[in-house]
Amino acid sequence: MVLVAIAAVTNTRGGRFMIPFIIRKVLVLIPMLFVISFLIFLGIELMPGDAVDFMIPPDALATISQADLDLLRAELGLDDPFLVRYGTWIAQVVKGDFGYSLQSGVSVRDLLAQKLPATIELSLAALVISTLLGSLLGVVSALNKGRLGDHVLTVAGMIGVAIPQFLFGLVMIVLVVFQMELLPVGGRMTPGNEAFFQRLDHLILPATVLGLSMTAGVMRYSRASMLDSLSKEFIRTARSKGIPEWRVNLIHGLRVAMTPVAVLIGFRLPILIGGSVVIEQVFQWPGVGQMFVAAVRSQNTPVIMMIAFFSVSIVLVASILVDIATALLDPRVKLS
Amino acid sequence: MDRLLTLENQGKLKTSTMNRSVRKLSANMLALVGLALFLLILTASIAAPLISSYEPNAIDLKHRLSPPGETHLLGTDQIGRDIFTRILYGGRISMFVGLGSAIGAALIGVSLGTYAGYTRGVLDSAVMKLSEIMMSFPQIILVSILVTIAGQSLWNLILIFILTGWPSMYRMTRSQMLSIREQEYIQALQAFGIGSFTISFKHMLPNAIGPIFVNITLSTAMFILQEAALSFLGLGVPLEQATWGNILNVAQDLNILRNAWWVWLPVGVVITLFVMSVNFIGDGLRDAADPTQVG
Repeated sequence: MVLVAIAAVTNTRGGRFMIPFIIRKVLVLIPMLFVISFLIFLGIELMPGDAVDFMIPPDALATISQADLDLLRAELGLDDPFLVRYGTWIAQVVKGDFGYSLQSGVSVRDLLAQKLPATIELSLAALVISTLLGSLLGVVSALNKGRLGDHVLTVAGMIGVAIPQFLFGLVMIVLVVFQMELLPVGGRMTPGNEAFFQRLDHLILPATVLGLSMTAGVMRYSRASMLDSLSKEFIRTARSKGIPEWRVNLIHGLRVAMTPVAVLIGFRLPILIGGSVVIEQVFQWPGVGQMFVAAVRSQNTPVIMMIAFFSVSIVLVASILVDIATALLDPRVKLS
Repeated sequence: MDRLLTLENQGKLKTSTMNRSVRKLSANMLALVGLALFLLILTASIAAPLISSYEPNAIDLKHRLSPPGETHLLGTDQIGRDIFTRILYGGRISMFVGLGSAIGAALIGVSLGTYAGYTRGVLDSAVMKLSEIMMSFPQIILVSILVTIAGQSLWNLILIFILTGWPSMYRMTRSQMLSIREQEYIQALQAFGIGSFTISFKHMLPNAIGPIFVNITLSTAMFILQEAALSFLGLGVPLEQATWGNILNVAQDLNILRNAWWVWLPVGVVITLFVMSVNFIGDGLRDAADPTQVG
C-alpha cells in the first residue's frame, strides 16, 4: 500500500494527473461506504429477534418480568427509532467506537483487535502460497503448452476449482493429522509455545488448504497471461538476437506476464475473506471468520455489522489500489 | 490445428446436417465426458426411488454407522439412514438449488442487462452502481446475513442466491450488449424506428445467448458449492432435508471424520465430480460458441 502511494507520487507520469485521479477515486469511495453501512444496518434491523432475546437464557426468561425486559431494551438503546439508531451508530463508528458484543459485553474493537492478527496471519500465508505456486505452475504450464505436464496441471486445476474448500480441508485433516500424525489440528497455538516458529505447525495446514484452493484460479490466469506475452513480437526479437531460450522465457516473457497477475491479487481479496470464514471454521482457527459465524448463529448484531462493514471496506480500498496500480503499470489507462 | 476445418475442406463432413458449434462441442472430449457424468448423476437422482429401496429419512437405530456392505451399499450414518439413498435424494435438492438459482439470477440479470445495456442512461448507471455495491460484499458474508434475516428454508436459500447472483449476470449481459449495439444492423433497426424494447430483446439478445448459457452453467456449479459451504456452517437448507451439503455437515464431528469415512467421503466425491462435469460442459460451450476458437 505504501509502495503504491510512493510510486503514485513519484511516478513521472503521475506528476500532474495521478494525484487528482487518486483523490477522485477516494471521493467516490466515501458515499459508497455510507450507502453500504446503511444497507448493513437495515439488514441487521430486519433480523428476527433482538439482542435481549439472546442474552437471557430460556430458563431464566420465565422468571423475568416484561417490565424488566423493556427496561433492558431501553438501556441498550433498542427502543429508539431506526434512523436515530443508525445516526448514533455511524457517528460512533466514525469516532472509532464500534459498539459492544451483545454476548460478552467486550467492545467490538477489542474483539477485532484480538481476532484480526490470526486472520491476517492465515490470509497472508494463503495469499503468498497461492500467488507463488499459482504463477509458478501457470508459467510451467504455459512453457509446456500441449504437452503432458500442461494437461496434468490443467486437470489438477479443474479438480481444485470443483472441490468444496471445506471438504479439501477435512480430507487434509484426515490424511495429515489422523493418518500421518504430522501436525496438530485446531487452534492457533499450543499454550506455552507462543513464539512464531513454535506455532508455525498450527498455521501450515489451514494456510496450505486455503492457499491451494485459490491456486487454481491464479494458475489459469498466469498461464493465459504468459502465453499471451510469449506470442508478442518482442519475444521473437529477443530470440532472433540469439538470447538463450530460458532467458527469453524467464526474463523477457515473465516480466510482462506477471503484471496482470500481480493486479489479480487485489481481486482475490473477496474470495480470500470468504474462504477464510470457511477454513477458520474447519480448523477452529480463532480468527475473525470464526467469530463471524458464531455471531451470525447467536445474532450478535454489533459484531456482524462491524465484520461485514470491515470486509466490504477492505475490498473497496483494495479495488482502488488495484485501479491505481493498473494506471501506473499500464500507460494505456486514461486518468481523466 | 483446426481438425474440423481440414475435414470440412476434404468434404468429409456434410455441412447441412449439423451446426458447426454442435460439431465443435462433440469433438471436445472433456465436454463429452462432462456431459456423460452430468447425465449419469442427474438420472440417478431423478430415478432415486427405482434405484434404492430405502427411504432417505428412514431411521434404523440398530444399524448405526455400519460400514459399506451388501445391505447398505455405502453404509449408514449416525442414526442409521442409508447413505447411498441420501446421496441420490440429496442430489435432487442440491441440483434444484443450483440450477434454480442460476436460472433465476439469469432471468433478472439478463433482462436488466439486455435493456439497460442497450439504452444506457439512468437505469444503466443506477443498476450498475447497485451491482457494484452488492459485488463488493464477500459472497459468504452477504449470504449469511440474508439467511439470518429470511430464516433457513429451501426456498429462502434459492431466493437469496438469486438476489446475490444476478449482478454478475447483469454485468456479463451488459458488456455483451455494449459491443453488439455498435454493430451496423442496430443502426439500421433504429433507422426503421423500431422501439428499443424490440431491438434489445428481439434483435440483440439472441446474439448474446452463447455467453449467457455458459454463465448459467458455471453459476449452477458455483451455487452448488455455496450450498455445500453454507450447510457446513449450519446456515444452509434445514438439516432434516437431505442435500449434499447437509450429508457432509456431519463430518464436523471429529469422531465421524476419523472413523466413518463412508459418511462424508462419497458425497464429497459426488459433489466434486458433479461440479467438475458442469464446469467441463460450460468450458466446452464457451469454446463451441466462440468463433475464434478452432475445433
